[in-house]
Amino acid sequence: MLPMMRNQTMRSWRSAEQWLLGSMVLALAMAAFIWLVLGPAPAAPAYLTAVVLLIASLLASLIMMLRVGMTRRQLEAVLDGRARAEQHAIEALRHSEAQWKEVFEHNPVMYFMVDAAGTVLSVNTFGAAQLGYSVSELLGQSVLKVFPIEEQRAARSNVAICLENIGQTHSWEICKVRKDGSSLWVRENAKAVRRLDNQLIVLIACEDVTERKLAEDALRQSEMYLAEAQRLSHTGSYGLRVASGEIVWSEETFRIFEFERAPSVKLDAVIQRIHPDDRARVQQTIDRASRDGKDFAHGYRLLMPDGSVKHVHATAHAVKDASGGIELVGAVTDVTSRKRAEAELHEALANLAHVTRVTALGEFAASIAHEVNQPLAAVVTNAAACLRWLDREPANLKEARSTLQSIVADGNRAGEVIQRVRALVDKTADRKAPLHINDVVNEVISLVQHELFSHRVALRLELAPALPPILADRIQLQQVILNLVINGIEAMQPVKDRPRELEIRTRQDETGQVLVTVSDCGVGVAAENADRLFDAFFTTKSGGMGMGLSICRSIVNAHGGRLSASANTGPGATFQFALPLNQEDST
Amino acid sequence: MSGRPASPHTLASAEEPVVFVVDDDASVRDALSNLFRSVGLRVEVFGSAHEFLQSKLPNVASCLILDIRLPRLSGLDFQAELAKADIRIPIIFMTGHGDIPMTVRAMKAGAVDFLTKPFRDQDMLDAVTTAIERDRVSRDEARVLSDLHARFATLTPREREVMGLVTAGLMNKQIAAEIGIAEITVKIHRGHIMRKMAAKSLPDLVRMAEMLGIGPASGRPQT
Repeated sequence: MLPMMRNQTMRSWRSAEQWLLGSMVLALAMAAFIWLVLGPAPAAPAYLTAVVLLIASLLASLIMMLRVGMTRRQLEAVLDGRARAEQHAIEALRHSEAQWKEVFEHNPVMYFMVDAAGTVLSVNTFGAAQLGYSVSELLGQSVLKVFPIEEQRAARSNVAICLENIGQTHSWEICKVRKDGSSLWVRENAKAVRRLDNQLIVLIACEDVTERKLAEDALRQSEMYLAEAQRLSHTGSYGLRVASGEIVWSEETFRIFEFERAPSVKLDAVIQRIHPDDRARVQQTIDRASRDGKDFAHGYRLLMPDGSVKHVHATAHAVKDASGGIELVGAVTDVTSRKRAEAELHEALANLAHVTRVTALGEFAASIAHEVNQPLAAVVTNAAACLRWLDREPANLKEARSTLQSIVADGNRAGEVIQRVRALVDKTADRKAPLHINDVVNEVISLVQHELFSHRVALRLELAPALPPILADRIQLQQVILNLVINGIEAMQPVKDRPRELEIRTRQDETGQVLVTVSDCGVGVAAENADRLFDAFFTTKSGGMGMGLSICRSIVNAHGGRLSASANTGPGATFQFALPLNQEDST
Repeated sequence: MSGRPASPHTLASAEEPVVFVVDDDASVRDALSNLFRSVGLRVEVFGSAHEFLQSKLPNVASCLILDIRLPRLSGLDFQAELAKADIRIPIIFMTGHGDIPMTVRAMKAGAVDFLTKPFRDQDMLDAVTTAIERDRVSRDEARVLSDLHARFATLTPREREVMGLVTAGLMNKQIAAEIGIAEITVKIHRGHIMRKMAAKSLPDLVRMAEMLGIGPASGRPQT
């Protein structure tokens, strides 16, 4: 609109000039002419002079008109060029402005311009949109509107700092709140400037760093978890740069070694903390790994300044660092309490084995008392009868002798029972001797005869003849078999609808191992319990300790064999253990 | 452990008392048998309660020696079973370890004695003597009572009625009035009653009536 208006003005100005000059010359010519015609006839020279003057003035006006026209054209050209240049400049400015506008509006940076009081003077569309507002919703509002209450004080003080240091750029990270209430972490760069109108304003550019912030938080969290996990598992991590002998430790590693926290520690200092007896060995392992770049795992002890000893287990993985040097990255676990627990468990198991043996005996006390009492009663009664036979007149020696024979037999029987009982309670360390498994089975059967009888359990024996002798602890094997038999009897307790049958079989398998199988037709083993059957303290019996099978398994394992349980195709369960002929090889 | 099979004895042969022994342990069984034989007592041994029940019991004074811990059927249960079958034989219990509740139960159920193994031979023999004596008495009583019942069964309904009233202490005249017959007829009934019941005197008859449980109202034996 504007350039066109200017053109018109110029054209009208040009025609006015032309008219002015033309009409001035015409008026001059007319005046000369009128003076010549109407005026007093002058003298010829005067007339001539007048004509000449007229012509001259006409010429002059013509020249003038030409000159004016030329000048005008020149001027017009100049003006035209200037107008065009001006238009170009305006065009360029417009273009640039649009471009900057574009940048301002859509650059993925939030721009704010606020006054000293914090009122939003300007905000870009992107900035407003990021906060969930439209531009108009923010203009004229306090900028605090986009900050959560807990951040408003910080926002206010940040603006104040900018205002105190005009022209200096300040940056900070702060949390903003969107219109919908969600949070937005931003990094702000701000600067206070004085505008032409002398007003102080603060220009703020902010960048969304929410993702980075979340990633940082996640990282921090994960580091915290890791540290916590290390603390809980008593496992620290370390990295050893072989070339420099420098070690970087995790927090937990510092705790395990009881060192003051430091960015890195020296291998030599660490070696000093190792128990003198283990030092050479550890040094050797590390040296070898450092040289060969091989992974390793080893256990050793630490001797603490207070004289206490820690057991640790360390593993390492050798890696090449950027410069090709070997770095050992690994973990070290404090296994002191585990070691202690293991030792205690071992002792507890040994004690428990004894306790269960005694308890088992307690459970059989009645049974055994009966076993001993019967022959004893017979002996006493027979002895009394014998006296009476002898007291007769005449003495009945035949009866007396046969009675004495009975006494001898019964006395021996009682003795045997006592022997077996003593063997059962005797807590002795491994006393392995060659023995026949069938004998052991028979010994156990003689002990549980009464249990079988009173629980109405029929016993089926399938003992393979001519089994090779095995090297084993007789008492321990008795205990295993006794336990399995009692378990079988108890498992058949609820059985009412079928005969209660317990089967004990011995045989030799293809690999030469001696197998002992105890099968019952009782309640069987629930599938979900199968895995835990041999665990210590696992029991399905209300009065059970859950030690029986656990101890059985350790006994069988100690003999180089294995104890397993399986469900029968029919009702009940089968327990089987296999013993190798030569345990020395396997233990 | 299997007991000696019960021989097809003829238990009812003699009048001399018999001791029955039931124990699952052969040694104990044989020892007891030996002891009783040494004092001249007849003895029969069994390996189980079942074997004992299978045999035919003689009609002589006897007693039963039972191990309380018998397989399948415990001694106490066996005692209850015998009572249920109305076999009233005195029982002497033996046990490996007698506890008080068990003893109390056995004694309440009528056991003669409760001996703990190993027992003194004299205690056992004393218990057996007591038991056999008790059985002899109760057998005698049973025999007397059954005789009485047999005699009472020979009375006519009217005679039973009269006997009830007589033993209740009524005079002939009162009886006659009571049941509406002549006094002389009452006297005749009385004579018959005394003869049929083999009563030597009125007190004798009263004792019989007591044994039979006859009251004045019923005139029939009350059970």
